[in-house]
Amino acid sequence: MNILINVIRRRFLQAAALVLASAALPASAEPQTLTVMTSYPAEVTARIEAAFEKAHPDYRVQIIWRMPQDALPYLQQPKQGGVDVYWSPSPRTFNQLKTEGAFRKLDLDLTGLPETIGKTRLRDAENYLTATEMAGFGFAINTEKLMAIGVAPPKTWRDLTNPKLAGKIAVPNPARVGFAPVLVDIPLQGYGWDAGWALWSEISGNAELLEQGGSFISDKVGTGQVAVGLSIDFFIASAIANGAPIHFVYPDRGGINPAHIAITASTEKLLAAKTFTAFVLSASGQALLTHADIRKLPVRPSVYESLAADYYRPFVAATQCELDYDNDRGRNRLGIISSLFDHHLAYRHQEQKALWKKLHALEAAGKTQPQLRTLLTSVPLTETEAASAELQKQFRDRLEGAKLELRAPELIWREATDKRIAAAQKLLEAL
Amino acid sequence: MTFRSAIFITAFLLVSYSSVDAYASTDDLQHKINANHITNNQTREAYAQPFAGLSDAELEQFFRGRNLFRQSWVIAPARDTAVGLGPLYNRIACVSCHPKNGRGRAPEDENERMQSVLVRLSVAGKTKHGNPKPHPHYGNQLNEEGIPGVPGEGRAQVQWEYQTVTFADGTKISLRKPQLTFSELNYGALESVQTSARIGPVVFGLGLLDAVSEQDLLTLAPQSKPDGVSGKVNRVWDSASQQYKTGRFGAKANAASLRGQIVEAMLGDLGITSSLLPKENCLPHQHQCLAAPNGGSPELKDNQLADLEFYFRRLAVPARRKINNTQVKEGETLFADLGCAVCHRPEMRTAKNYPHKHLADMRFHPYTDLLLHDMGAGLADNRPDFQATGSEWRTPPLWGIGLTELINEYQSYLHDGRAQSFAEAILWHGGEAEKSRELYRNLPKAKRKAIDQFLLSL
Repeated sequence: MNILINVIRRRFLQAAALVLASAALPASAEPQTLTVMTSYPAEVTARIEAAFEKAHPDYRVQIIWRMPQDALPYLQQPKQGGVDVYWSPSPRTFNQLKTEGAFRKLDLDLTGLPETIGKTRLRDAENYLTATEMAGFGFAINTEKLMAIGVAPPKTWRDLTNPKLAGKIAVPNPARVGFAPVLVDIPLQGYGWDAGWALWSEISGNAELLEQGGSFISDKVGTGQVAVGLSIDFFIASAIANGAPIHFVYPDRGGINPAHIAITASTEKLLAAKTFTAFVLSASGQALLTHADIRKLPVRPSVYESLAADYYRPFVAATQCELDYDNDRGRNRLGIISSLFDHHLAYRHQEQKALWKKLHALEAAGKTQPQLRTLLTSVPLTETEAASAELQKQFRDRLEGAKLELRAPELIWREATDKRIAAAQKLLEAL
Repeated sequence: MTFRSAIFITAFLLVSYSSVDAYASTDDLQHKINANHITNNQTREAYAQPFAGLSDAELEQFFRGRNLFRQSWVIAPARDTAVGLGPLYNRIACVSCHPKNGRGRAPEDENERMQSVLVRLSVAGKTKHGNPKPHPHYGNQLNEEGIPGVPGEGRAQVQWEYQTVTFADGTKISLRKPQLTFSELNYGALESVQTSARIGPVVFGLGLLDAVSEQDLLTLAPQSKPDGVSGKVNRVWDSASQQYKTGRFGAKANAASLRGQIVEAMLGDLGITSSLLPKENCLPHQHQCLAAPNGGSPELKDNQLADLEFYFRRLAVPARRKINNTQVKEGETLFADLGCAVCHRPEMRTAKNYPHKHLADMRFHPYTDLLLHDMGAGLADNRPDFQATGSEWRTPPLWGIGLTELINEYQSYLHDGRAQSFAEAILWHGGEAEKSRELYRNLPKAKRKAIDQFLLSL
């Protein structure tokens, strides 16, 4: 009997406690705040945030905006600074964070999402991160401007070496512009290391090097300041979708840069984080990324079925071997490539441009200069050296935009550039 | 006064006004399309175009300013160039509230957060400079967001009250009016508060408005106008020059200079300090806010402020479209006949001695007089702002308004975005505009459509 009374008393007290607890709650509970760190522009975050909150009113998104080079230290704080989801187009940052144990495995239904495209993995083999969208690379062109200088729209990287394009090309410096390291690596893989660098030397000899990417490139092409701008595709595709008088050409040897999403290891809002991640990967979330102001390439192939005929279809391009760039192969050397470009080609750039102009003029006059061409196209680092784990380690934290002290290899590359320029000038003087 | 005599007086005023030329003819407007400050771009980027004729160096600066306007700001500390978001703020980028340089949008219902709307706050009284007296716990604007570790101030929700208006031809139209409620208040009660919701306004053409001479506005304000229309200037404290000036920006003309408007928005909306407003937007009892790291002193560097100002000064105004269309022409005539053009003045002139020479001594077509007018109880926020009463509003420029739906993918008019069509916006006009509104309400459908077509041509 006493036991029964105790049970009844306990049940009564439990019920009373529940009543009191529910009375303390506000009439409508506050949405749970989910913290998402990203480097996407406001056009992207505002649309996703609004659509997600509408679909899931129990959650509210707080965006913490960070460029990749700043995301690392933020996520290295205790409890990862309170970030629940990291979502950004920076495979290198994801790779590094994964190595540091920053993420937890995704436990989501990923049906309908391919694991690869071309030679690029869209999903981490261990399932810590997965791609949410992709971007391609190519040439923004001003057809009118090209016609005015008598040049056909370029279709290959080699077309950019046309001397008629001197001063009419804009190339983002990969040491400063986030998307550019992969852009530079694509022809290095496509044509081979030495031929690729020779190509870049000649292209940069024709080019203005930009310290900023984004809409700067579409602006420069659209206003006719240059005829060709090398870019990641979505800035240009968005400008075109908004009416800019430019076009975009995907070159024959192309590549894809995937943007990933991952849930942080220390999140205390796992359900919310999973809900957000699933939303971004869902058909409706993916469709949002194709809006004219965003123009990303969805990773869910079924979404392309309802897109306009002129929307680039990377899964089709991949079947035609147009996207054979291997991101995994390139990833570890991107830091080296960016820095090498900076000190080998951007350093004393005006003088190098002048040398290329003179070489092109001589060649146009039928006076080939093999020695001078060899000098201008030589690169002070072999592909094997660039694959050195020791060298890569020195540049692992050298994400684009970071301005750090010059390191020993960089001083050597600069010295090589000095010698190359001096030798080339001496050769020209001797003519 | 009869309608006919009102038209006569309106026309007389427009012709006789000393510094502002007569109502431009359609041909004149066509001619102006070739002016540097007008862009013929008709795309979704039409609000973001530079003046024609900028040099390469000027274009570079324009683009730098544009990047800053679109830049998402970063929480300090960071190695970025746009650091110092918050500690309290509304949105993370300027463009969040001015999408594509256009208007913001009011939430659909109380479940949707304020995406591009902010709520001004104050209590009765004024500061020493005459500003509305900030609320002691929340300041002069509800900052809904806080950086991690700093609680946002709270949340505002919009609920809509609906009413039906009937046109003379029997057509009914539903008007909605926002009612604000607040929740999740983190810094105490929000008592005795005056509130006013504001959508982000368009940002092009501001250089031209800045260039209108104070004297022109002071001359225009007291001139007699038809149908009970008055008009007054708002004398406001200018953060940039540290003196009283004639207001011209903001829904109540409560900002006098472009530079002042920029730094106030940077601080109020984003929590970004500048050399003109160097103190973070934290109140004394907002301890976490006060203790939060900043992004430098100031956070908006002077060269960045210069780039932003350069950008706004050279943001071109979209050219008018279909100006020879019969309906557009009819609508334009009706717009004048109804008295709308008395306040929404088709033409103004910039000062001859304006220091930025590219903007000096120009005729332009903003469809505003930059003056305050009593708009009646329906639109009143009952929140005085300097010399603007709770029912007075600055005539908003109408230039570019016809591209709203193309560019922003929605329609959102009036200071709080309550109107979702031109008709709704017009029907909310009261006070000094009551007579014009009633003339409009009595128009047959075809003529109302002509007015729509005219507005779409702007």
